[in-house]
Amino acid sequence: MSKLLVVDDEANIRLLYSEELTDEGYDVVTAGSIAEATEKLKLGSFDLAVLDIKLKNESGIELLQQLVKERHEMPVILCSAFSCYKDDFSAWLADGYIVKSGDLTELKHEIARVLAKKAQKVKTSM
Amino acid sequence: MNWECCWDRDVIEMGDCPNIHEGDEDLLVSKRRRVLEKCCDCENLRRDLDRFSDSDHPLAPVFNIVHSEFLRQKNQIHSLVSFLDSKTLEIRFIHELGVVLQSSVDLEEVLSVALTAITAGKGFGMNRAFLLMADREAGLLKGYLAIGPRNLTEASQTWSEILCNDMDLQTLAQNFRNNKLSAERAKFHDILEQLTVPLSEHDHIAIKALDSKHPILVEDAFHHPEVSPGFAALLGVDSFLLMPLVSRNRRVGLIIADNCITHRRITDEDMHSLETFSFPVAFAIERASLYDKLQIELNRVTEAGKKLKEQQELIVRMENMALVGRITSTVAHSVRNPLMIIGGFARSMLKNSPASDPKRDFIESIVSETQQLEVVLDEILNYSDSLYPTRDFWDVNQLVETALRDVSDVLIERGYSSRYSSVPDLPPVYIDFKQLSYCLRTVILSDIVGMGDDRTIAVSSQHSGDYVVIRIVDHSRNVPQADLDHIMVPFSETRELGSGLGLALCKTMLEKQNIPFDALAVPEKGIIYTIKLPTHKEEKQ
Repeated sequence: MSKLLVVDDEANIRLLYSEELTDEGYDVVTAGSIAEATEKLKLGSFDLAVLDIKLKNESGIELLQQLVKERHEMPVILCSAFSCYKDDFSAWLADGYIVKSGDLTELKHEIARVLAKKAQKVKTSM
Repeated sequence: MNWECCWDRDVIEMGDCPNIHEGDEDLLVSKRRRVLEKCCDCENLRRDLDRFSDSDHPLAPVFNIVHSEFLRQKNQIHSLVSFLDSKTLEIRFIHELGVVLQSSVDLEEVLSVALTAITAGKGFGMNRAFLLMADREAGLLKGYLAIGPRNLTEASQTWSEILCNDMDLQTLAQNFRNNKLSAERAKFHDILEQLTVPLSEHDHIAIKALDSKHPILVEDAFHHPEVSPGFAALLGVDSFLLMPLVSRNRRVGLIIADNCITHRRITDEDMHSLETFSFPVAFAIERASLYDKLQIELNRVTEAGKKLKEQQELIVRMENMALVGRITSTVAHSVRNPLMIIGGFARSMLKNSPASDPKRDFIESIVSETQQLEVVLDEILNYSDSLYPTRDFWDVNQLVETALRDVSDVLIERGYSSRYSSVPDLPPVYIDFKQLSYCLRTVILSDIVGMGDDRTIAVSSQHSGDYVVIRIVDHSRNVPQADLDHIMVPFSETRELGSGLGLALCKTMLEKQNIPFDALAVPEKGIIYTIKLPTHKEEKQ
């Protein structure tokens, strides 16, 4: 079972993601801020992180940069209310990008795609 | 001795002296004044003196000498008075001219006054005058304006008109300016055209006069060693005056004046009078020319000020638009999360509710309505983003390949394939990458509903002049051109947000960047979208 870290400042979104992604068979851990995410990352390893870009007064891009530097093996999917971030340089560091929607199909597809890609990469390197 | 003249009588009667007429009554009783003013010139006195000479009186010859000398001096005083009178008139005329010239900064008016003064009978009375202006930038002395008759008939007509109307100088000049300036210019066009001399041609008589800053009176022009035959033939007159116009040591121009009709000799007196006149004229011409230049500069500054004001207003408008964009973006973002939560949980509930659940229809409504609202939000956010494009040079292949990668899943899902063909060494294009990416994705995905047999999206790019042209050909659809045009109209009254404004929004975005965007419906072939991306920064207006 793949373990996912979901970082979003909205409690209801964390709950929605948690419910839906658990139904999909993932082990979901949530965090409401960068500090909480950093704490949870210290406690265990994750197969993938789903980050919201706008986190109250913080930026998910900062956490993305930190993760790319410190845990480059863990893929990251960015979520945002703005489609324009898709073409932002910093966002290109992420392995996937989705625009937030009540329809989580795209998110689920993206998670599956990124995890499959990671698995393929691991398989090739062995 | 009986004297014929009345000089020996203290009081005389009217009729006693042939030189005393009505109005001279006071001389009848004033012997001294009568003798000095009338008797000295009287024939009766002359005869009395002759008789006196014949009398052998020793004072007779002395008296004759004194009388002759008196008459000579009297005549001299008369001519001096006449000279002074003419000079007074001249000074009055120059003063009148000066007042007119000093009060005008209109070049045409100054020139009209100057040339009228030279040719008017009340002025210097010359028949014809040409004005040549120095063009320092072009290095030329150029024929500018002329005044005067070209033949005797015209001269008679003009002079009789002036006599009948009895106009003063200012009125004459005004009349000339209002009614005759253009006509005179046209009349002398042929001569003025040829009256152009390079300022560097120092041997030319006109340039000599200008260089020396002194007038030259040319006589016997056709045989004059310093006058070229061409110049003499052009003026067609034997004698003329070259009067340089110099102001503050600068060569302003030259006046050529002649008496081509009357052939009256131009005297030194004429030359000196015109020389006195030339100083205020030169000064007035230079001042009017400078005023003209100043006016041009002032107009430029006014125009620049106007543009600056427009730019300032534009900046304020852009700031307002940016503010509107930021507000829209913030509001949309605040709406996005709750909308997503409502839609997401509604979907969850729908997924878990049995088909027989009576509340399922309500949940489905929530799902579809939130989905619709999300589309509206996307369009608002994209539109607010289009308000302030950030342009730079980008690689076209990267742009197209990224867009195709982004839409590949959706294309595959709907049974479509895509292909991209390009040419090597495409130049970078000056675009807002984010907006162009959005446009490409939108164009590729617009209304693809899986119809038609050939479900291929063919994208190509090629260099054409100052553009790289991207063509997107969708073979799957057959849409009339009118429908396609309607789809492209941004925010038309028949369309609402959320009803698929993608293409219209693309057109708006691209228009803001001055990027040509066309959609052509080709019957039985599909739709060809053309986007022309500039390879240069546009010139600032």
